[in-house]
Formats: sequence, C-alpha cells, structure tokens
Amino acid sequence: MFFARFFPPKFTANVVAVMLLVGLTAPCGVRAVGLPQSSASQADQAKEAWQKEFDAVRSKTQDAMTFSEDELTELIRRCDALLPQIEKLDESRRKVYLGRLAKCRGLYAYVLEAKKNEKK
Amino acid sequence: MNKKSFILLALILILCGLAPSQTGTKKKRPLPYEYGRVIIDNYSSKAELAPVVFEHWIHRSKFTCRVCHVDVGFAMKAGATNITSADNERGFYCGTCHNGKTVVDGKVVFQACSRKTAGDDLRRCERCHSFGLKVASEYDFFHFSQPLPKERFGNGLDWEKSEELGLIKPARVLEGVSPRGNSLAVQKDFVLNPKVEGMPDIIFSHKKHTVWNGCELCHPDIFMGVKRGTTKYTMVDISQGKACGACHTTVAFPLTDCQRCHTKPV
Repeated sequence: MFFARFFPPKFTANVVAVMLLVGLTAPCGVRAVGLPQSSASQADQAKEAWQKEFDAVRSKTQDAMTFSEDELTELIRRCDALLPQIEKLDESRRKVYLGRLAKCRGLYAYVLEAKKNEKK
Repeated sequence: MNKKSFILLALILILCGLAPSQTGTKKKRPLPYEYGRVIIDNYSSKAELAPVVFEHWIHRSKFTCRVCHVDVGFAMKAGATNITSADNERGFYCGTCHNGKTVVDGKVVFQACSRKTAGDDLRRCERCHSFGLKVASEYDFFHFSQPLPKERFGNGLDWEKSEELGLIKPARVLEGVSPRGNSLAVQKDFVLNPKVEGMPDIIFSHKKHTVWNGCELCHPDIFMGVKRGTTKYTMVDISQGKACGACHTTVAFPLTDCQRCHTKPV
C-alpha cells in the first residue's frame, strides 16, 4: 500500500479508521445541521394533507341526502377550498382529481338545491 | 349534348346523390359481443399505434359502473376522458388496475402502458391497441355468456338477473381509489308517466341504479332537474344519448327493449 511505504503500520491503520469514521458520520452531520429536505419529501407531506381532506369530503357523498342545508353548504365550501391545491398538481393528477372533485361538489350542490326547493 | 340537357342531367345526378343522405342509412345493429364497445383514438394514431378497443362487457362483469365512471373517473362519452399513456403509467384511468400488480379473479392484470420496453411489449400494447388488427382475446364472449340468463337485445344478457343469481359479482369498491364511506341508503323506485296515450308507465328502479351508479354518476350531470318531472325529455332526446340514453343507447339494454322500462300494466 502507498501509505505503508512512508508511515509505520500503526499510523496507517489509525488514518484508515479516522477516514472511515468521518465517511460514515458525514451524512448524519449534514442531516443534523438541518439542510433542507428534498422537494420530493416536502411534496409527499403536502400531498398527504390535501388528500386526507379530499378523501374525507368525498367519503360523504353516499350520505348526501341525509345532510342539512348547513352541512351541505359546508361540504361545498370544503370542496372549493381544495380546488387551488389540486390546480397545483401535475397534469395527470390535476385532470383526475379535478374530475373527481367536480362530481362530488356537483352532487352536494344538487342535493342542497333539492332541499331548498322542498321548502318552497 | 346541349348546355340545357347537361345542366338538367347534372341536377338529376345531384338530387339522386342527395336522396339517400337525406333519408339516412339504416344503422347496423351491433352483435352481442360488440355492444358497448368503445373505440378510443385521442392519441393512438398520432403515435402510430392502432386505436384502443375497450370491451365494456368484460369490465362490467367485474365492476359496477360507479367504480370506473366516478371513482376512477372515466367520462361517460367515448374519447372525452382524454387518456394519455402518461396517465396510465402514473396509475390513473386504465393504469389504476392495469398496472401489472392488481389481482382480479386470481389473475394479475397486465400493465397498460410503460416507458420501459422489452421484446414482448408490442404484444402487450396490442391487447388494447387492437382496432383493425387480428388479436386473439383472452376472454371469449360466447364462453362467458353461456351460463348467464339471456335477453333479446344489447349484449343479449340480463345483467341484473345475472348479479341476482350470483353469476357475476361486480365489485362496488376499488381499494385505494374508492372513498371509504357508508353504504348508500336504499332509494325508492318510482313511476314515470309517458306522454303517449296507451303506453305503459315506466317503473324506474332507483334502487338498482343507485347500487350500480351511486348518486353522482347521474346527478347532476345527466339528470339536472331536482324535482321529479322537472327534467323533460322525449324518446328522441333519449335516442340521441340524452337522459336515460346516456347508458341505454350505448352499454345498458337498448331502447328497442321497450318492455324493460315500460313495465307497469295498463
């Protein structure tokens, strides 16, 4: 080995050990000092938030007929609040989720109108 | 031939040519295995691939209408979804199930579209991109339809009875795609009065329609009116694909099967 020609074997072994230690701990250090997380993991977290809300709003369509006018109005508001977040998604997801959201919002608005007409 | 005779002859020829186009030509009734078939060519031809042939009968035997048209998000008109191969690759539309992982009836569903190409890929593409090609299907309609109760029109099958008898079990939920909610409350059937005197009333099976379609497949996109009777439509409208015609001219039993809707005894 190149090192062994010029330095005693014990010193060479120590250098190798230190280099290995630095190499292994470096990534942890970078993480610990708080360098920004990758944009992919940030996107994942963001996705989770809107998708949970999206699933929650959409899961109530089967019960639409049982809701009061206030509850339906609130569900429509929640659908509308999701719109700008879905608009930011990539082309495929935007197309798919906008379609699903439109169906869901459309139903709540339809039932709300039906309830209002019943009163007349 | 003088000028007047020539003009007269030309007029006669033009009128003869116009006559059939005015009266129209009789539309060929699809064969049972062709009924519900959808040809999709938004981008295929441009990509030098054969257009996609979608067979409704295979899919409707395994899933309710709602799963595909509400949860997955396919439009109700052919080509209106604008599906791209990228959508499929990302796990949407056809790629929701056709991803090489999903298992239906004990079989892994083949992957719809992928950027990675292997030697066998052309055959895989041709399983969907098969319009005008002679591609042997894994599914044989005649074999499939043999044990099912028969009807006169459309696919020649009574899909409703087939489900009642447990011969088909269309899934109502697609894990990871369908929302987790309560099951829909049973909707009451109701009577619709036709305008033609002597024509039996229609008993509309709201129950059957909601089980297969959910609410949002029909309301408000197809039936906008909120109060019963506010959405006015005629048989002409229906035959043009409006109201009931959105499904009953394309996939569900066709309009020629009068007695399946006009069922109330006079």
